[in-house]
Amino acid sequence: MKKEKKKNPFRIGSLWAGPSVLMLLCLSLVPLIMLLGFSFMNGNIMNGVFPGWTLENFRKMFSGDTFSKLMGKSLGIGALVTLICIVISYPIAWGIAKVAKPHNRSMFLMLIILPFFTSQLLLIYAMMMILQSGGILMTLLNKIGIASNGTSILYTPRAVILVLVYEYLPYMILCLYTSLESIGDNLVHASRVLGANTFRTFVNIVFPMSIPGLLSGILLVLVPVCGSFAESALVGGPNGMMVGSLINSQYNTVLNMGYGAALSCVFLIILSIIMGVIRLLVNCAEKRIGGDTE
Amino acid sequence: MSKGLKIFLKIWMFLGFAFLYIPILVIIIMSFNGTAYGMFPFKFTLEWYPYLFTKSELLPAAVLSLKFSLTVAVSAIIVGTMAAFGMQSMPERFRKGLNSAFQLPITIPWLVQGVSLLLILNLLGIGRSYFGMFCGNVICVLPYVVMLVLGRFAMADRTPEAAARLLGAGPVRVFFDITFPMIVPGVLAGGMMAFIVCFNSFCIQYYLAPFGVRTLPVEVFTLIKTGYKADLNALAALMIMISLAVILLLNRMGYSGTSLFAAGTKKGKMHHD
Repeated sequence: MKKEKKKNPFRIGSLWAGPSVLMLLCLSLVPLIMLLGFSFMNGNIMNGVFPGWTLENFRKMFSGDTFSKLMGKSLGIGALVTLICIVISYPIAWGIAKVAKPHNRSMFLMLIILPFFTSQLLLIYAMMMILQSGGILMTLLNKIGIASNGTSILYTPRAVILVLVYEYLPYMILCLYTSLESIGDNLVHASRVLGANTFRTFVNIVFPMSIPGLLSGILLVLVPVCGSFAESALVGGPNGMMVGSLINSQYNTVLNMGYGAALSCVFLIILSIIMGVIRLLVNCAEKRIGGDTE
Repeated sequence: MSKGLKIFLKIWMFLGFAFLYIPILVIIIMSFNGTAYGMFPFKFTLEWYPYLFTKSELLPAAVLSLKFSLTVAVSAIIVGTMAAFGMQSMPERFRKGLNSAFQLPITIPWLVQGVSLLLILNLLGIGRSYFGMFCGNVICVLPYVVMLVLGRFAMADRTPEAAARLLGAGPVRVFFDITFPMIVPGVLAGGMMAFIVCFNSFCIQYYLAPFGVRTLPVEVFTLIKTGYKADLNALAALMIMISLAVILLLNRMGYSGTSLFAAGTKKGKMHHD
């Protein structure tokens, strides 16, 4: 009791958090809850006048297969991008954590965080420059004779996947790095001394201990990738539609905001379920390896 | 670790970094290319940089984005620092609850965040406006400020404050003389991060910017969609350089790549670094 009192001398001081709490409520929580209400809205709000209620949005969503197809496609692309990111990131993260010299390590980490500080659009644009027919990669491939002149994977779904991997790779590397870095060298060494080969050491020691980082990496890559629409709009071409593009079109081209709200609502619910499961798994994994679970 | 494995890891790392950086390097090189569409043959020129600052349509958008992001960052600094300060005197339970509430605006996809805000603004009769865009961006960058300032509070030694109070300093004096100097690095880092994130936040601005107003990300989106502009390369090169400068600055202030990342993705493991 005495200790607690010492820690919190001015309870009234918590009022300083008031404006933020208010902003969180008004700008994040309330809009999300109202989104559910808006998904029963019939059409658009014109000049602040509410157009009335309907169930049509949900009927439309679940009767046709446009939504389910695109949602499935988005989740599929999300899973694929996440998987590719994991495969590429694992050795890189391990290399930075354990092979790189300590004074190089901070430089590597800074180089990896740079894309996080760079506009997502510029990253997409940079990739487009490389991929465009007549651009540097295609000219090169053409010279070697792999690709014929004037072709490119740009404006295909494959380009979307490549761009997304490029954008989200740093997230996965950093998540894995945080986990891998905390594995003691002694542990790995002990396993080797006791006769385990590299593969068994990896399966029994390294991989289980990296699961929390892996899962939070999956969370950080999968969720934004599923919700992306800029990539598919810019490099996806006619077949690049994702569920984000469908939602986006309700606000910018088709202008059926009620339907758009219903779509975003269901999309958010599906994502929340996935996030919830992954969070749960993270907590389990952290308990199993005896880390701190906050 | 066996030698073969080490070599494999080194090669893999090299390829990974090449993958991440070749596109960025190509943009920078192409900003000096006189041939249209970033194609060959490469002709060295410096013309795009003066063009960017005199005739380019990108310039007004960039200036607007700079001013706007600065406003957002300063507001986020003030509100966010207040929040982190207030959270210090909160009971553990509330603090934890508020902490996870702050994760909401950066966990849900910004597409959904933008859409839900647009709808509520429409209902209020405000619609797309500077006010709406400001609100949307502040709420998305506020968590970064709060996390970084909280991290600073967690590191700081709190005894000088108690001592000052015992010696008779009022709460205002304690705050400005002792507490604030203690958390300044966190405030600055949070502000820089808020600025950069806002400057680059395409999705929110795409949904909430007033009709006809184009911030830089929106302008860039439209440009990429419609065609190629050589001055965009020059701008991109400059922006990457600025981002790099900010990271280097933050690093000098003691924020490593991982600690910034932890704050930016609310993994809440600041104390590890």
